Amino acid sequence: MAQQRKALWEADLDEELHDVDLNIAIGNYGQNGLYDDAQPRIDEPTLLAVQHQVAQQAALAQIPDAVKRFIVHFHQAVLDNNLSEITVAYESGWNRLTEKFYAKTEWPEAEIIAPLVNDDQIFLILYRELYYRHVYSRIQPDIDDRFHSYENSCELFNYLLNSDGPVPLELPEQWLWDIIDEFIYQFQSFCVWRSKVKPKTDEELMLLADAGQAWSSYSVLNVLYSLIQKSKINEHLTALQEGKSADEIVEIVGEYGTKPLYRMLGYFSLIGLLRVHSLLGDFTLALKVMESVELNQKINKTADRMYALFAVCNALSPSRVDDNISNTMKEKYGEQFTKMSRGEEGIPAFEELFLYACPKFISANPPPYEDAELLQAHIEELPVEPAQRHLSLFLSDVRAQAPVPTLRSFLKLYTSLDAKKLSNFLDADEEEMVQQLMVMKQASRSISRVENEKGLLGGQMISTSDLDFVIDENMVHIAESTVGRRYAGWFIRNTEHAQRVYDTVHNSPLPIPPKSASQVKADAAAAPPSAAPVSQRTGQRVAWGGNVKAA
Amino acid sequence: MVSASTWATPSTRTELIENLVSGVDRYNPSNVGILEDYLYHQIRSEEYDCLANLAILKLYQFNPDLYNPDVVINILIKALTSLPFPDFNLCISLLDERSASTNPDEPDPLPLLLPVLTSLHNLLQQCRFPAFWTLYRSEKAESLRDNYTVECVGFEDSVREVVIRGVKAAFKSIRMERLGNYLNLSDEDLNGYVAKLGWSIEASTGVVSIPPNPDNQIESTVVQEQIELPQLVKVITHTQSA
Repeated sequence: MAQQRKALWEADLDEELHDVDLNIAIGNYGQNGLYDDAQPRIDEPTLLAVQHQVAQQAALAQIPDAVKRFIVHFHQAVLDNNLSEITVAYESGWNRLTEKFYAKTEWPEAEIIAPLVNDDQIFLILYRELYYRHVYSRIQPDIDDRFHSYENSCELFNYLLNSDGPVPLELPEQWLWDIIDEFIYQFQSFCVWRSKVKPKTDEELMLLADAGQAWSSYSVLNVLYSLIQKSKINEHLTALQEGKSADEIVEIVGEYGTKPLYRMLGYFSLIGLLRVHSLLGDFTLALKVMESVELNQKINKTADRMYALFAVCNALSPSRVDDNISNTMKEKYGEQFTKMSRGEEGIPAFEELFLYACPKFISANPPPYEDAELLQAHIEELPVEPAQRHLSLFLSDVRAQAPVPTLRSFLKLYTSLDAKKLSNFLDADEEEMVQQLMVMKQASRSISRVENEKGLLGGQMISTSDLDFVIDENMVHIAESTVGRRYAGWFIRNTEHAQRVYDTVHNSPLPIPPKSASQVKADAAAAPPSAAPVSQRTGQRVAWGGNVKAA
Repeated sequence: MVSASTWATPSTRTELIENLVSGVDRYNPSNVGILEDYLYHQIRSEEYDCLANLAILKLYQFNPDLYNPDVVINILIKALTSLPFPDFNLCISLLDERSASTNPDEPDPLPLLLPVLTSLHNLLQQCRFPAFWTLYRSEKAESLRDNYTVECVGFEDSVREVVIRGVKAAFKSIRMERLGNYLNLSDEDLNGYVAKLGWSIEASTGVVSIPPNPDNQIESTVVQEQIELPQLVKVITHTQSA
C-alpha cells in the first residue's frame, strides 16, 4: 500500500526493500491459518511471507503494553481530529515513552505496529515521521534510513498536496513546524554525509550512484514551494497587512488556505525556504522570500549564536545599541569583541565566531557518484568545503575594513586635523591613509529601514556610526554625535521615589514616645485634634488622583 | 540617497524578466537562455540587474551542465561596477566549487581569471583606486581585458562611477591631481570628465569642489531625550496634593 501512491519526484528507490508483498502477510494476523496441515507443500515466496509474518508478530508481542496502549490512543485521537489529545500525545506521551523504553534504540518499525492501527496508512506515515526523527536525533541514520525517510516525507507531502481537495487532518502547530524543520534538517544532514566520499562502502557507493532525485535540492525546494502555493500564504499575508476583512481573505486564499493545517504549513515553508536558501549560499533569495513576513523575535533557540553575530556586527560597525543586549554580549564574547575591534589582529576571533554562528552551509551538488572516473578526480582534488568558502568571503570583507578602528580612535580626538598630521600619527603613507578614510566612510553607511519599506530587501542608505567626517582638500573635519545627559528620567524617578518615601512616612502612625503620667494626660487631649487634619488631608488627596490632561 | 529598492528592481527590467526572477520559473532550466540574453543586453547597453544575474548563477548551481564560464565572468565584471553594493560576493557565494574539469579541449577560463577578478574587487572595496588601475592595466589582467571587459560597454566609466561614489562621500573638495589618480585620467580627459559631472574647478589652486550631498555634510548632533507627558503625571499629581 505504501507503493500505491506515486511520489512525484523520483523513480522507485525500492531495491533495498525485499520482495515480500506485505499485503498478504498482514491480512490475517494471529490466526491459525499458518499451521494448517492440509497444504503439504508451501512454495517459496509464501514460505518467506509466513516467516516474515511470524517474526513480526513476535516483535509485536514484545512491545511493552504501555507503548501499545499509547499507539492505539494516539491513533484514535488522530482519527477523531481531537487536537488537544493529539497535542498531549505528541508533546508528552511520545517523549515520555521514548525516555522510558527507546532512549537508545529505535521505536518499533511501522510494519510491526500496523495491526494495532488497522493498517491506517496515513497514521503510519505520521508514525514513521516520528520514527525517523527519533533515529536522526538519537541514533546515527544509515543509508537505508536516509532513503526511507526521504520516501516517507514524499508520501506525506504527496498525501497533503495531491489528494482530492484538502485532507481532513488536524495536527498541532508544533508538529507542523517540526515536520518542516525536520525535513530540512534531514536534507542538510544528507548533503553533508553525501559530500564525504572517502569513508563510503561499495554498497553505499552503488546506491548513491542510482540515487537520482532523492534528497535533491530541486525536490526539497519543490515541496516547500508547493506548500506555499497551495496555501496561498503570501497572498494571505499581504491581505492581512492590507487590512482585508475575514470574508475577503477566505475568497483570496481558497479552500486550502482557510484550513489551519495548510495555512501553518505554508507559513512554516516560507521560513523553511529562508533556511534552505541560506544553506545554499543564496542570501538575496532568502531575504526575498520573507517579503511578506513580519519578523517579531521568532527565533530564540539559537540565542547564543545570535549574540556571536551581534558581537561581530558591532565590532565591524560600532553604533549605539541597547544596553541590555550590549551587556549580555560582552559577558559571552567580551574577549573576542575587544580583539575584533582592533582590526587586523582580530581576524582569528572573527573566524571563530563566524564559524560558530553561521548556518551549516551545504553544497547544492553531490560529488559525481555516477561517474567513477570523475569521482576519483574529485577525491584527489577535494573542493573546498562550503563553510570555508563562505568564511573566506566574509573575512575578505572584514579585512577590507581592518584599518577602520584605528582611524576611528584617532578621529575621535579631534574636530579638525590635517591629513598629513594624521598620517604622521599613524606612521602611514598619506595617500594610503586617505584611501582608508574613504573605506571608513563607506563602512559607516548601510542600508536600513527608514520608512515603512516592505520586505527585507528594501531600505535606504543611512549612517550607522556616531562619528562622521569629511575631507576638505587635505583637512579632515570631524563631527561626533553624542547623547545628551539624560536628566529628566533620573529626575522623575528620584522625585517619585522621594514622594513614595514621604507618603509612607506620612501615613505611618506617630511613634509613641515613652511618657510620664502628666504627658499621658496632655497627649490624650491632643490626640483627637491631630487625627482630624490627617483625615482631611487624605480626603483632599483622593480628589486629585489621575485627572491630569495633556496640554 | 541610494535606495535598495532600485537595486532589487531596476527600472530597466522588463516584465518578462520580472516574472522570471520573482516566480518559480526561475528554477526551470530551459529559461536560462532568456536570462543569459538579458545579461548580454546589460553588457551592451550599460544596464545592470543584480537579481536577474544571481538567478542565472542559481540555475548553474542546480544544473551544472548548464554552466557557461563566459557568462559567469561577465556577471562578475558587472558586479564589480556595483560597489559599494555587495553584489560581487553574493555572486561568489553562489559559485559552488566545481569538480575538476575532465574536458581538456575546452579548458575552463574561470579558475585562471577568478583570482584577478577577486583582487580587482578587493582593491576597489578598499578604495585603493590607483592600485586598481595599475593591476587592471598590467599583464596579469591582459586576458580579462582582451576577452571580456573590451566587450562590456562603458566598463571603465562604470568603474569611475564607483570611484566617484567613494570620493563624493568622503570629500568636500579634492585636488585635481589626486582625483586624476583615482580616475586614471589626466589633463583634458580629466577636465572634461569633471565638467561633465558638473563639478567646479578652482583654476588657481587646482582644487575641485564637490557639491554638497548628505554624506559630505557633517554636523554634530546631540541626541536629546524626549519626555512625554504621561511620564510626568505622577510628579505633577503629587505637587497638586502637597
